[in-house]
Amino acid sequence: MNKAGRPSQRKRKISVLTTLIWAAGILVYLFLISPILVIFLSAFSPTEYPQFPPTSFSVRWFHSLFTNSDWASALKVSGLLLLIVTPLTVILGTAAAYALGRLKFRGREAIQSLMLSPLMIPQVVLGIALLYEFTSLGLINSLAGLVIGHMVVAFPYVVRTVSVSVSGLDPKLESASMSLGAGRLKTFVRITIPLIKPGIIAGTVFSIVESFGEVSISLFVSSPGNITVPVRIFNYIDQTFDPSVNAISVLFIGVAVLAIVIMEKTVGLTKVM
Amino acid sequence: MARTTAARRTNSFYWLLLTPALLFLLAFLVAPFIMLIVLSFREVDSLLNVLPTYTFGQYIQVFTTGAYMTIIRSTLGVALLTTVICIVLAYPAAYLLVRTEKPGVRTFFYILLISPLLTSVVIRTFAWIVILAQNGLLNAVLLKLHLIDQPLSLLWSMKAVIIAYVQVMLPFAVLPIATSMGDIQPKLRQASMSLGAGRIRTFFRVTLPLTLPGMLSGAAIVFSLAAGSYITPLLVGGRLQPLLPLAIYQQAVQVFNMPFAAALSVTLLLLVGIVIALIGWISKRWEARLHD
Repeated sequence: MNKAGRPSQRKRKISVLTTLIWAAGILVYLFLISPILVIFLSAFSPTEYPQFPPTSFSVRWFHSLFTNSDWASALKVSGLLLLIVTPLTVILGTAAAYALGRLKFRGREAIQSLMLSPLMIPQVVLGIALLYEFTSLGLINSLAGLVIGHMVVAFPYVVRTVSVSVSGLDPKLESASMSLGAGRLKTFVRITIPLIKPGIIAGTVFSIVESFGEVSISLFVSSPGNITVPVRIFNYIDQTFDPSVNAISVLFIGVAVLAIVIMEKTVGLTKVM
Repeated sequence: MARTTAARRTNSFYWLLLTPALLFLLAFLVAPFIMLIVLSFREVDSLLNVLPTYTFGQYIQVFTTGAYMTIIRSTLGVALLTTVICIVLAYPAAYLLVRTEKPGVRTFFYILLISPLLTSVVIRTFAWIVILAQNGLLNAVLLKLHLIDQPLSLLWSMKAVIIAYVQVMLPFAVLPIATSMGDIQPKLRQASMSLGAGRIRTFFRVTLPLTLPGMLSGAAIVFSLAAGSYITPLLVGGRLQPLLPLAIYQQAVQVFNMPFAAALSVTLLLLVGIVIALIGWISKRWEARLHD
């Protein structure tokens, strides 16, 4: 009995352990997603405060987004910022990541760390530093200040995703193009950019998401005339809250879902993170 | 000869691409930090106007005031606690991500993992207000289940800050752990088990040591984020929590003492820098030991 019992006992122990790990893992994922679910579902409640689960279905708070001029103007500022920040950051970041991937010189790693450093620098410190610099330069309360702040935050994401694509790019393809008579610039536009496109797309998506959701720096450098959506949400929930914040959150969640879909379709999620 | 000219021309093309980014970072990342450091050594008059003279006064005030030492201690404590909780929770999450056979399920886990990262921090923080408030979701559920008689006051406390921090920063811990876990050859675990070690022993002697670098790089990111965020503690913790980022925010936005805010910022930057350097050093030592 002993001889026969041991393996099956061990097997049972293993499956109990595996089940426990799986249960723990699933709980962790539930914990990760629950805030977003709560926000999403309670956006459709008709009451004056966010209700979960909502007792009935209403879109009145979505309606209020477009009739309330404050939300509308914040949406306009956020949209305008995206239109300026995204192309500038993607061009700047792509050029830098590509060049850095090809160049070999002392101090290369230091420059790479510098480029990625906004990911690690305490946001409050970056915000204060930019606030002080912009005040000295006379850029404070200007759209330019917001643009620069957003670019600093979004830049490392573009550099990181493009760098991954560049490191998988065979330099021979470029040499072939040049030996066939194409100039350096023509090769870059015709050969290099199409080959690193997945990295550029992922970088663009990250840049949009970061810029659209950025609040830590914006709070310091924005003016009453240039309030982005996240800053307005911040001011709003700092004082009071009603489900119009939920409704605008659903918009943000929509952007996140779109971002995930685009990244999964173009590069694959596992590659970009 | 022709070849070196061509190489030089190519190199100058690369430098041409790199220069705009370097100038941008120099102007809006390096310069503001140098200005901030200089500012932290400035004197202020009684109306908090910045004077052109230099002093160590701001730093002396930071490091000799009991209140600020408490703030520094509790900032480090909260960041450390957040990091530890994140690493512990990240482990089973990473396990699921790596061990799931079906690609569809794995993509689903990935979506759950990165969707918080892609949602603005104000939204996630707002969600925690809805959940943790007195009349919020969590209290409603606990009351209905008769687990509590009185609603718990969870919001406006350090507990709320830590819960929100963990949810926001957990993905940064899961991803590097999952990467290092995925790199482990299944043969290593099989070898350990065929030599008689049980699953638990194999985990502690094989899997854990090999995933330590992933844990450490996750820990470095989580720690620096947790020590430096101010939006989340401001919204779910209230303005009075003893945390450095909040103190910096108040000095700059409410008190208007910019040199003191600058000195606190430099202090925070140094603390985070020291901890990250320490983690990097441990990681390097560990990898060297593994490859011996």
